[in-house]
Amino acid sequence: MQTTLTNGIADGQLTNAAKLANVSEDQFRMSNGVRVIDYQPTSRHAAPSNRYYLWLILPAVIVLACITLYPFFWLIWMSFHKVDVLKGDVWNNFANWRRLLGDRSFGNGWLLLLKYSAMCMLMEVGLGVLLAVILNRSKYEKVLVTLFLMPMMMAPVVAGLVWYYLYNSTFGWYHWLMQSAGILGEKSILGDTGTAMWGIVLVDVWQWTPLIILITLAGMKRVPRDQLEASMVDGAGEWRNFFQITLPNLYPFLLIAILLRFMDNFRFIDAILVLTGGGPANSTKILPTYLFDVSFQFFKLGRGAAIALTLLFVTIILGLILVKVFESPAGKVNQEGS
Amino acid sequence: MASSDIVQYKTPARKAVDILVGVFLTIYLIWTLLTFVMMFVSSFKDLLEAFKLPEIGDWLGVTLFFDFTPTFRHYENLFLDKNFGKYMMNSIISAGGSALISVVLGSMCAYALSRTEFRGKKDLLFWIISTRMAPVVAVMVPLYAIFRNFELVGTLPGLILAYTTFNLPFAIWILKGFFDNVPYSIEEAQMCDGANRFEAFVSILPLVAPGIGAFLILCVLFGWNDFLFASIIGSGGAKTLPVATVELVQPQNIQWGKIMAAGVVTTVPMMFLGLLVRRYLVTGLTMGAVRE
Repeated sequence: MQTTLTNGIADGQLTNAAKLANVSEDQFRMSNGVRVIDYQPTSRHAAPSNRYYLWLILPAVIVLACITLYPFFWLIWMSFHKVDVLKGDVWNNFANWRRLLGDRSFGNGWLLLLKYSAMCMLMEVGLGVLLAVILNRSKYEKVLVTLFLMPMMMAPVVAGLVWYYLYNSTFGWYHWLMQSAGILGEKSILGDTGTAMWGIVLVDVWQWTPLIILITLAGMKRVPRDQLEASMVDGAGEWRNFFQITLPNLYPFLLIAILLRFMDNFRFIDAILVLTGGGPANSTKILPTYLFDVSFQFFKLGRGAAIALTLLFVTIILGLILVKVFESPAGKVNQEGS
Repeated sequence: MASSDIVQYKTPARKAVDILVGVFLTIYLIWTLLTFVMMFVSSFKDLLEAFKLPEIGDWLGVTLFFDFTPTFRHYENLFLDKNFGKYMMNSIISAGGSALISVVLGSMCAYALSRTEFRGKKDLLFWIISTRMAPVVAVMVPLYAIFRNFELVGTLPGLILAYTTFNLPFAIWILKGFFDNVPYSIEEAQMCDGANRFEAFVSILPLVAPGIGAFLILCVLFGWNDFLFASIIGSGGAKTLPVATVELVQPQNIQWGKIMAAGVVTTVPMMFLGLLVRRYLVTGLTMGAVRE
């Protein structure tokens, strides 16, 4: 299927662009290529001065610095102090950091975060790719995708609340469903240390599998048709085609999907807060949830800052990897064809 | 995959696979929509009706779910007694305000970043995207302390600023990708015809307008659906819909009908907005890495 959106500009817009540039559309396509990356001004006398651009960049950068960079340095400051609202902050000789070393909830939080992410990712990627493959060949792709992506629009906290209600062990329909199917025994899914993690994973899978479907579908439209056809001519079956051509072409897309989801697991704990709040017996207290408790339940802002910095550190590393993937030749080649 | 012009004969195995696929799609569709159906239907149920559940294993008892007399009581109650009209206004102002600020500042910045090269540009861009990815819980600790000093906690401007921490980097990053795709020669041509720099910039706006509009809506969606910032920074004077919904949960006497109604009120507008920008969703949710 040809996509109408060519690198962000719809075809109609391209026509407009051509009109504005006073050339025919074909000329326009030829002279500009369809995708122009990091376009450099070609003629020097027409290029506006750098100062003009500086004025355009500055407001956003200043605002952003005020609301992110300033808090970031404040965070570092807090992590070295005993934060006290009334008496003022006191230097406490790395006590916040030293406490992290012996803090079992901290280590446990990281482990649970990894476990939670791994469980989510395995299920979401598995389901998402499977569904994308099916949808890609389905007549009803458009309708089904639109229906499937509805959960993403729901506020995560509302999703958490609705699922909390449905999981309820006395009147929840999902609880009834699981018990009737003989899955759960007598237990309530969120009330048991063994199953609570599954409870929160299911909500995440429900809400975010559609994102993997969307990304994979977009990736599948980029798989070069000539490769597929060539290999079919050579006698490869559909399975072989899928595993040797489609799937390798999807890797960059899946990598992006996984990284984004992984970082979202760091960012969003809304659903978990209302579903379990980290319980029972800390079995779902993944690190961000623990951080929330330390900072906003016990108001240990200094210790919270130290934990937050470890979380930020890992996020930045993940971000660096993500940007590398964005820029990798594989990622670009796949974006080019359409 | 297989070219459609090749006539394919369906073997029995193929038919069996088709049926399996159909069943799987149906099950997944039910699993996706069931939660919505539950939310919508429960919001029209009275307290006692919401608690009705068939015996375990009694599959025919499912009909019990639809055995109720619909009531609009919960919705009336939310807006008449629980002040939901005001919370909705708060949501609209905070999400809309932040989206507007982000997109206006963001498109200026993105345009300039797309048209210039300078040393450290890559680092600047990485800093911008990393602020977007920073975990909200982590950022909130210092932001709360700072906002308290400036007396911004519990106010709408405070909440707008808080949402801008994730909306502005999003807008810059994603709109830069948009401007990158608009050839510079258009502006050049305009300037040759005597337009000044600003007019040249305005001349390409129609090209990016649909995108800008779509990402404005996505920014609204991000702000509207936020819970953490709203519950801490907005606590008190700037309660938004998600926070008000969660506050309906009380340890004793949980009003499920009311909570589900609040959930519907929070969700439905975003479902419409989401469908409106359907084409730009992938681009938006992947920070421009994947385009549809």
